[in-house]
Amino acid sequence: MGKRDIAIVGYGETKVELRSGRSSYDLAGEVFEQILDSTGVAKSEIDGICVSETMSETSNPFWPVFMAEMLGLVPTWTQVNGLGGASTIAGIARAASAIRDGLCKIVLVLASDAQSSYPPTEQGVQRWEFQYQTGLRGPIGVFGLFSQRYRLQYGLKDEAHAKLAVTQRNHALMSPNACAKLKTPITEQEYLKSKYVSEPLRMLDSVMVCDGASGVLVTSAENAKRLGMKKMVYPTGYGEITNFNGDKAVSDITETGFSVAGPKALRQAGLAPKDIKLFTPYDDFLIAILIQLEQIGFCGRGEGSNFILNTDMTYKGTLPLDTSGGRISAGQPGLAGGGINLVEAVRQFVWRGRRTSGRERE
Amino acid sequence: MREAKKTPRPLPRPDIYMNTSPFWEAAKQRRLMLQYCKDSNRYQWFPRPVSIYSGKRNLEWREASGKGILYTWTNTLVPWPDHEDRVPYVCALVDLQEGVRMLVNLINCDASKFREGLPVRLAWEKLSDDFNVPVFEPT
Repeated sequence: MGKRDIAIVGYGETKVELRSGRSSYDLAGEVFEQILDSTGVAKSEIDGICVSETMSETSNPFWPVFMAEMLGLVPTWTQVNGLGGASTIAGIARAASAIRDGLCKIVLVLASDAQSSYPPTEQGVQRWEFQYQTGLRGPIGVFGLFSQRYRLQYGLKDEAHAKLAVTQRNHALMSPNACAKLKTPITEQEYLKSKYVSEPLRMLDSVMVCDGASGVLVTSAENAKRLGMKKMVYPTGYGEITNFNGDKAVSDITETGFSVAGPKALRQAGLAPKDIKLFTPYDDFLIAILIQLEQIGFCGRGEGSNFILNTDMTYKGTLPLDTSGGRISAGQPGLAGGGINLVEAVRQFVWRGRRTSGRERE
Repeated sequence: MREAKKTPRPLPRPDIYMNTSPFWEAAKQRRLMLQYCKDSNRYQWFPRPVSIYSGKRNLEWREASGKGILYTWTNTLVPWPDHEDRVPYVCALVDLQEGVRMLVNLINCDASKFREGLPVRLAWEKLSDDFNVPVFEPT
């Protein structure tokens, strides 16, 4: 059993919108108000802020400080996480450390991005010289290369991806916050017929870039009790690794950091994959779900397709998947996308897995 | 007949994050240079300010054989901006004899006939008077 000394006591989430025209600050403000309203915690009690890096605001080197200014917070601990979609969950882990170390007592962990409304920040480095001239189609091209390699090593059943696509879309249809443009039912046939972008990757394998924000409030379990909080979620296991295999010139690209971070998180929590009742993986591409199933340990290497085909991953099933639609079908609010599945997991805990549609849940 | 949209393919921008001019100068003469770590006796790609093996700067540029095998590929049907003229085009990861993996375009090829480990060799594509870029083709 993992430690239960830290608690998530509140959450908030905006709708995911395509080209909303709103800024990351405005979106974050909406999440902040939701959290204050739903928890009853006074603004003055929040003394820590932890924001995710963004595509829309990263050129501002004082992004977390400006966010504090926008929200009228006076934190004694300020943090920005540049881990892409993992920034929110990493924010919870860092907030836990900061709270345990006495740097602050209550942390607002925020992910907010308006990538579809503001020009994205250039990532630079070697890309100018050694990537852009090849025409590799960004993350879609990278996942095209990745998917092809996985297919060579293990084989991949397209019908497994079709099933994932439909499962997630059906979940998005029930979620009040999913992007309106994606709220159209799809069939497995439509997935299989969707056009290739960067073979073997199809249009429906990928996310659509949107705007949106989400956040959680983190404090010690002791402080949560002092505040009279009734609904708490304990983060009991965490694993993280960056630039996996980055100290080698050649490695198996299908082996990812999830093979380290997943088992580590489970060990820390004292759980095995069979104990997991809800799965909310980062799903920038459908194959990322399959990879996480394999490398966190739900099934063996190369067994992902069969596992998906043999498992009911709908909200009524044995291993519900991304019950608010994931990024694939709720929309990808830039680098704040990791918050969608995290907040949905928290929401399901708070509502004790009442697997009803989003509207009824709320 | 409507003319196809002509967009200039982006030229590399050397020396942005470190001094890469030795690579591009050699490329003008159709020679592929890799960084070599003299402490660990290993190559690395792409160029870095230190050895990814030792963290030291005891690096030099050495010419590569230009021989390799295909590791994986993607046939691009919807282009990255400014590559509209080239569709479809193949981006690939190629493993060189020197023990490094490069992101490159494959030319003179049929993507439907690719297989893992397909032998490939270095070719060059001239983008401008100043820039040759390394590409590969099946042997």
